[in-house]
Amino acid sequence: MAELENNDEIRQYIVAKLGCEQYGIDISYVDNIVRMQKVTRVPKTQPYFIGVINLRGEIIPVMSLRNKLDMDDSAVTNTTRIIIIKPETGALLGLLVDEVREVVTLSEEDVEKVSYDNGRDDANYYVTGVGKYKDTLISLINVNGIISD
Amino acid sequence: MDLSQYLEIFIDETKEHLQTLNDQVLIMEQDPDNTDTVNEIFRAAHSLKGMAGTMGFKRMQRLTHDLENVFSEIRNGKMSVTPDIVDVVFKSLDALENYLANIQESADEGTEDNEEIINLLNAIMDGGVRQPDIPDELDETVPIATAAPAEAVPAADGVDKRKFLQLPVAEFEINAMTEAVANGMNVYGATVYIQESCILKAARAFLVFKGIESVGEVIKSEPSVQDIEDERFDFDFSLFIISDKPIEQVQKVIANVSEIEEVVIEPYTPGSAVTQVATPVVEEKIETPVVEETKSEASKESAPEKKKTNDTKKKPVVNRSVRVDIEKLDDLMNLVSELIIAKNGLVSANAYEEHGQAQQFNEQIEYLERITTNLHESVMKVRMVPIESVVNRFPRMIRDLSKKLNKEMELIMTGEETELDRTVIDEIGDPLMHMLRNAADHGLEPTLDRIKKGKPQVGTIRLNAYQDGNNVTIEVSDDGGGVDVEKVKASAIRKGAISEEQAEMMSDKEAIDLLFQPAFSTAEKVSDVSGRGVGLDVVKSKIEGLGGDVVVSTVLGEGTTFTVRLPLTLAIIQALMVEIQDEKYAIPLNSIVGIEDIMVDEVKLVQNKEVINLRGTVIPLVRLDQMLDLEPSESDSESLVVVVVKKGDKQAGLVIDNLIGQQEIVIKPLGKYIYIHKMFSGATILGDGEVALIIDANTLV
Repeated sequence: MAELENNDEIRQYIVAKLGCEQYGIDISYVDNIVRMQKVTRVPKTQPYFIGVINLRGEIIPVMSLRNKLDMDDSAVTNTTRIIIIKPETGALLGLLVDEVREVVTLSEEDVEKVSYDNGRDDANYYVTGVGKYKDTLISLINVNGIISD
Repeated sequence: MDLSQYLEIFIDETKEHLQTLNDQVLIMEQDPDNTDTVNEIFRAAHSLKGMAGTMGFKRMQRLTHDLENVFSEIRNGKMSVTPDIVDVVFKSLDALENYLANIQESADEGTEDNEEIINLLNAIMDGGVRQPDIPDELDETVPIATAAPAEAVPAADGVDKRKFLQLPVAEFEINAMTEAVANGMNVYGATVYIQESCILKAARAFLVFKGIESVGEVIKSEPSVQDIEDERFDFDFSLFIISDKPIEQVQKVIANVSEIEEVVIEPYTPGSAVTQVATPVVEEKIETPVVEETKSEASKESAPEKKKTNDTKKKPVVNRSVRVDIEKLDDLMNLVSELIIAKNGLVSANAYEEHGQAQQFNEQIEYLERITTNLHESVMKVRMVPIESVVNRFPRMIRDLSKKLNKEMELIMTGEETELDRTVIDEIGDPLMHMLRNAADHGLEPTLDRIKKGKPQVGTIRLNAYQDGNNVTIEVSDDGGGVDVEKVKASAIRKGAISEEQAEMMSDKEAIDLLFQPAFSTAEKVSDVSGRGVGLDVVKSKIEGLGGDVVVSTVLGEGTTFTVRLPLTLAIIQALMVEIQDEKYAIPLNSIVGIEDIMVDEVKLVQNKEVINLRGTVIPLVRLDQMLDLEPSESDSESLVVVVVKKGDKQAGLVIDNLIGQQEIVIKPLGKYIYIHKMFSGATILGDGEVALIIDANTLV
């Protein structure tokens, strides 16, 4: 029964670009999107954290989504953005992406679930499924997955 | 029944009374003839009983009642204080504390009857002379809900108890009543008398109102509901009630509330007030309210007076304090933080200004700075609580330990007035208690051994607190046998914590630090006081979690001292801002000893580590750029800027590139998810909005 309901569900995603790949983040997790700003490096932390920023008096850690997904760094450009997400645990987190493109609406039938049973490697774990939008594919980010370690 | 709004007051006051009892009984044990003490005890026990009864905690009330009987005997000189009695009394106090703990948790006293203690108390009573005054004590405790039947009331004892008849009734109220009657409802007038022994009369009145709500509606009360809630009334109040229920039912509802002396109630017809008032002339009717008003004002005036005498009787020494919700203080604190950040912004903006108009600008900034500093200090002070509130339970604990361990000992406390931040106070109780238990159990030798060694028979434990700059130091010391380093090492080897070679290499100080390892206890037998091996490690981690540290010094045969150092405040600190390459960091000022310019060729190598000789002391050098994973910079400068920091009596020199200056910083948490190395104690936001990490110098020494 629950599954049936899920099938009809329509979700909105913010589409971010990392190089030529597109990633979708469920819009219900997104708090804000800010331009690149001065990031303070935090020595000896996990390599995919580029540091912390000050967002209206609150200090928020910023993760490079590229590094988290085992991709190489890219140069900061005019289009670089930090997507501030608010996972269920409450505290804010910034995700550094190359570019934020648009908001897309995907119904459940547009999304192909990624199964973890065989060959569950990290990159898959951070992605819940792949959505088809027009002619492009969008990897949907598992927000709770990327903060779990 | 909704008593929740009184529960908090009840809990606070009960705590106060229990603390008074504990303190005073301790004094009484030492000085049984002190009548002031005995009176004080009696008063506290009596108030406690009344309060427990009022709140409907029957078991608690019963126990305090029996306890009070014993105190009453002692007060009347019919019984003398013996150690046995004191033991039972303390047991009862513990039982009461348990009730309180239950109440705090679930608003219910629990089901423990403590028959055993009550029997002990009664046995004491039987042992003493059966006193004649017990029966009327009993009368007082059992809540009497005698409601005189309505018929018997009018002018029975000369005074008309139907005070409601004298209430001024406004036009709209009469209208409401007439309308109610037209709708087939009844209008009743009632005057409720509360027992004069009642302590929480507002609570009683509240229950009356609550009860009436279930059968009808109160359309008017005198004094007003607000005044009644604030306890601004004597022992009676009058009401007009609209109800569709018969008068007996309404009366019963009111009379069912305990500690109600009497309920006078009868049907009321709107016109009757006018006829009852002396003059039926219509013109004077206008005047009547005025007269009544002055009258009620007069009674209002006398009410606080009466209350005052009550208060002085109940508590001779009242702590003049305001209870403030900690959340409100936190909000205030955040505002101050914002203000400081804004000020810092102004300061840095000013740095780029031209010299021309800078003068006035500077003055303004200085002014702002003065305000923020003052504001910060006063907010900090609001949060400060004397450690007395934590340590005042320790004398009692030591007394119990003394009995349990069969060692003679005394606790001497000094500096109880030393103040600490509320958040620290809340956390420091358990560690201190643990250290005291440790001193009592492991520190002090058994009495016989002490006599053999020629030491005073009674062991001494000291708790000494004092402020030391931006820190508060608490020392817990004993004059016992001290820590036997060899024994500690042997025990550590046995437990596999260290190898024998390691043990030989170890300095005494390092060996003593083993005490803080998890699962370490040197006591040969495990007692229920301490020695289960959980403890000192928890103490240490707790204190470090509060930003403090703990060190042990010991002299074999003479005693041990634990010294705890805690920061005075946690949220805003003075820090030195430094630059390492192009990154900015803050170093808390309280760990800094000084800043030195060291020539590069003065740096020596000892065991392959860089050290400098600073006025005769050799201190290790820490290259911060390496610690912070920065690429070493090729500097051709001939000198190094070294910030000398200390932890306890150890020092280290931190090499930095540039000094920025001293600044007041607001400590902010670094957020979740990200791993923070322990060398950082947090972060702060600088005037230009940039984030700087705070280096915890303690971890680098």
